[in-house]
Amino acid sequence: MSGLSAGIGCRGLRVHAGRRELLSVPELHVAAGSTLAVLGPNGAGKSTLLRALGLLSSHRVSGEILLDGRPATRSLLRDAIVAVLQRPIMRRGTVAANVISGLRFRGVSRREARIRAWPWIEALGLGPLVGRDARSLSIGEAQRVSITRALAVGPRVLLLDEPFSGLDSTTRADLLADLRAALTGQPTATILVTHDRHEALALAEDTALLIDGRIRQHGPTAEVLDRPGDADTARLLGYTNLLPPALTGGTHTLVARPEHTQLVLAPSDGPADQAHDVRSVTGTLRRTVALGVATRVDVDTSAGSLTCLHPGDVLATELPPIGSDVRVRIRQARSLITADRDEPTETLPGPGDRQGTRGPAFDSEL
Amino acid sequence: MDVLFNGLVDAIRLLLTGDQDSWSITALTLRVSLTATAIALLLGLPLGATVALARFPGRRIALAAVNTGMGLPPVVVGLFVTVLLWRSGPVGGLGLLYTPTAMVIAQAAIATPIVAALVAAALQQVDPDFRVQMQALGATPIRALAALLGEARLPLLAAAMAAFGAVVSEVGAAQMVGGNLAGQTRVLTTAAVLATSRGQFSLAIAFGIILLLIAFGVNLSLTLIQQRQTVMR
Repeated sequence: MSGLSAGIGCRGLRVHAGRRELLSVPELHVAAGSTLAVLGPNGAGKSTLLRALGLLSSHRVSGEILLDGRPATRSLLRDAIVAVLQRPIMRRGTVAANVISGLRFRGVSRREARIRAWPWIEALGLGPLVGRDARSLSIGEAQRVSITRALAVGPRVLLLDEPFSGLDSTTRADLLADLRAALTGQPTATILVTHDRHEALALAEDTALLIDGRIRQHGPTAEVLDRPGDADTARLLGYTNLLPPALTGGTHTLVARPEHTQLVLAPSDGPADQAHDVRSVTGTLRRTVALGVATRVDVDTSAGSLTCLHPGDVLATELPPIGSDVRVRIRQARSLITADRDEPTETLPGPGDRQGTRGPAFDSEL
Repeated sequence: MDVLFNGLVDAIRLLLTGDQDSWSITALTLRVSLTATAIALLLGLPLGATVALARFPGRRIALAAVNTGMGLPPVVVGLFVTVLLWRSGPVGGLGLLYTPTAMVIAQAAIATPIVAALVAAALQQVDPDFRVQMQALGATPIRALAALLGEARLPLLAAAMAAFGAVVSEVGAAQMVGGNLAGQTRVLTTAAVLATSRGQFSLAIAFGIILLLIAFGVNLSLTLIQQRQTVMR
């Protein structure tokens, strides 16, 4: 398993439901030992892509699935690939019986399967649960079993279809960390489908943005997450504030995250233009909402509304009254010049930027 | 009350002494009903699985038709099979009317829709993505289907019990296509009807008890299979 081409990929992959095209991916490759996150909104075709790659699609699929750079037969792919679906589906029986079922399908004896599965059971912390009836598990435990069941096979390709959705945040963070640790050093090519960019950042070296059945951007995760190419990807990546040229006087539409968009609370509030990546616009204060960890402020401008997020609880007395004219300061705005990845973005990430950071939930999603 | 009590006592004595006729009637009942159930399982399992899992136009109509078939009156089935097997009928040349084979055919026709409908219900109650997840773990489509059947084995065995219960207890079709010929096509239900009509209540009650015992015995063995597997896994 050496060379650039080891791993899973596809060429000219298309999925149709009737005459409607659900997905079109001209080319994709995930190298052995690396993880690709496929990030997209609901209905973008993420699961469709995953199921097509895993030969699990109930739709019409055309194109080639490549294993180690070569078109592979169904039985070869079936042997190489394991997929974890969004909902954990358990078989009747104990947790242990479920964990070994992937190995059993591959003709491994029960005894041998138990021996091979045990390190994974321990790595994912399922030891105390092995004798439990799989259908008595909580959703979080069941998803943990489902992931362990997939890892126990020692698959060359692991496909994960939003495995963390529906889990509470603590369970999710724990499972995310355990999965990350389990995958590290494994020669597995992993594809994670998700709508959550924090999961992409935590698990994947590379990220592809999938919108309307097409990959809009693809590259190193930190880079892709920080450089929205168009309005759709900007929204997906949390750059929900859209600043058209009319508002900023620039030549391109800018986008910014709410947490980088803040009210100027006092005229003396900070050196107004300390860096060239700070912009300010004016608008009318529409409402303020205290969210505990942050205070959300909605401002109407001449070109739509902006959402500001102030960390912590901003005192009501600090905020101007509703309906008053306010100034909004925007940091780290990104320019939607073109989807071309080689084009430098208008601003470079600041020192406080989280480029290259790894870990779950790097900021709260509000 | 006396009639019932005396009947019961006589019936038990009859059972304990066990005359030749009762034994042959019991054996024929078992043979006909078990064969019919086996055929119904062979036909009903794939039929029910297809209606439950395959995607084809008119699937829901097929499902409704199968469900309707659960309530098929044995007399209606008996009538149809009689007409089919009648000497001048489509397959009258085979001379099957008033033979145990004819009874098996009629009872299988009664039980097949029961099996199909209960199999369809059993398979549909399992997560629709179950087979997908099994295939995602490396199972071939056939292996995944087998896993699904294993997953639904409790309701599937219940389908077998329901089918056997329906055919062993029916009298209309057995009477019509079998003719209740002594020593040839007389089964427990038709024998009980005849005995009752002749006023031989204790004999009728004896047949009734045997019928219940058979039903209990067959269901007991199926239940034991069903529950043993549950504990084992």
